[in-house]
Amino acid sequence: MKKHILLVDDEAPILEVLESYLTGRGFRVSAVQSAAEARKVVQVDAPQLVITDLQLEAEDGLQLVEQLKILRPTMPVILLTGVLFDPKVVEERLSKKVAAYVSKTTSLKQLLSEVQRLVGPP
Amino acid sequence: MSTDSPGFVGADGRTFRRLLVLLLLVLAVLAFVVVESLRNLDRSIAASDWVNHTHAVISEADAIDANLAAAEGDLRTYLLTGEQRDRDTCQETFSDLAGHVDVAKALTRAAPTQYQQVLQIESLLAQRASLARELLRARAGGPGPTVAGLLAGDAGGAAAHEISRRLLALKDEQNELLAARDTAAYLQAQTTRWTVLTGTGLDILLLVAAAWLIRDDLAARRRAAAALQEANDRLETRVRERTAELAAINAQLVAQNLEDRWSHQALEHQLRYSQLIINSISDLVLVVTKALNISRLNPAVTRLTGLTAADLVDQPLARIVRLTRERGDTAPLRFDPIAQAFADGRDLRSHPAILTDHLGRTTPVRLDAFPLRDRDKVVGGVIILQPAAAPPPG
Repeated sequence: MKKHILLVDDEAPILEVLESYLTGRGFRVSAVQSAAEARKVVQVDAPQLVITDLQLEAEDGLQLVEQLKILRPTMPVILLTGVLFDPKVVEERLSKKVAAYVSKTTSLKQLLSEVQRLVGPP
Repeated sequence: MSTDSPGFVGADGRTFRRLLVLLLLVLAVLAFVVVESLRNLDRSIAASDWVNHTHAVISEADAIDANLAAAEGDLRTYLLTGEQRDRDTCQETFSDLAGHVDVAKALTRAAPTQYQQVLQIESLLAQRASLARELLRARAGGPGPTVAGLLAGDAGGAAAHEISRRLLALKDEQNELLAARDTAAYLQAQTTRWTVLTGTGLDILLLVAAAWLIRDDLAARRRAAAALQEANDRLETRVRERTAELAAINAQLVAQNLEDRWSHQALEHQLRYSQLIINSISDLVLVVTKALNISRLNPAVTRLTGLTAADLVDQPLARIVRLTRERGDTAPLRFDPIAQAFADGRDLRSHPAILTDHLGRTTPVRLDAFPLRDRDKVVGGVIILQPAAAPPPG
């Protein structure tokens, strides 16, 4: 059975590219544009990994991460954002909450290697 | 035979033509043998009829000769006995003789030479019959000098002898013809045998040649089919390989396309986010070149001056901002502090200035200027204007 990845981003073009890429690499992908939809998916069809943007339309991505930790404590989360954080901030603050932080300027190939590091091959 | 397509097609047509020629030859030989055999058969049948006819002529000649001898004998018998019975027998024998002569004439009518011979014999026989009639008439009156005289005139049967000789000549001639005919028939039979044997042998050879051609053609077709199959297999392998290559290249292109789109979206997102930040600032923010011409401005500039980006971009900063001295200091500025700060690579903080809007109205502001550095080179600067606080009344 293919591994399930949940994508959360309020920008449809971002979701489209990520979904195409990860599906092409053999993963089963669900894509949603809000935190509420993300929570529904996690409850109904728990993914092996969540990739979420920091800035969502109605909620903060970090808040969503907190909520997902309650629902699925062992499920890894990658924070994907266009906001460039200071590496020290990433290390000290974000690393405690998320399994990985990936900038949107990073290549898809590097994102994939991060995904495979956390969940293995498809 | 060539296995290339055009050559193979040519070989195929050539083989067909050759087979057709061989078949036609077989049929021609067969037809020749049949025709010759039928002709020989017809000749044999005709020869058989002729032989029967010739034997009939010989038989009639023999019959005439025998009958003549019998008639002569019967005549002498009557001449000796004078009996009516013997006279009747003699007349009957001569009558039979005439009948045989008629048959001989009928048999030889188609052969003029023989017919003439028979006519001559008939003439001689007629003379003998005439003599016989005279002798019969003379004897009927009894034996006497008349009969003796007639017999003496007959000269010892020379006429009968002549008739026999002519009959013999006729028979010998017929026998010679029969012998010649036998020889011809034998030769004809031999010819027929060799015609059939040769024709059959030739046909067998032609059929063997045709079979060889067919076998050769089949072998060539099998080779061509095998070569075609091999070429097809190679082509299929090559197509599979090429398809796999193209699929791999396509996958690479798709992945590259996604990467490009991702990079573009990331960049666009960064730019948009940066723009959002600048646009959200309530202070007036202008970006200027090293020559202090305006290159960018935020919405706050437009709100306060009524001038848009179209009005201000590529215009000197001095169009809307004029640096002043601190209140109470009316001496004119001897140099441009902003230019100086950028040249020195330092900031200029909280310098008094006057902002002029599109209607010429002025607003006192505090100006901050920050050089913009790209790889340690000052390429321009950021000007931030804040409305100056109004002095306390009094």
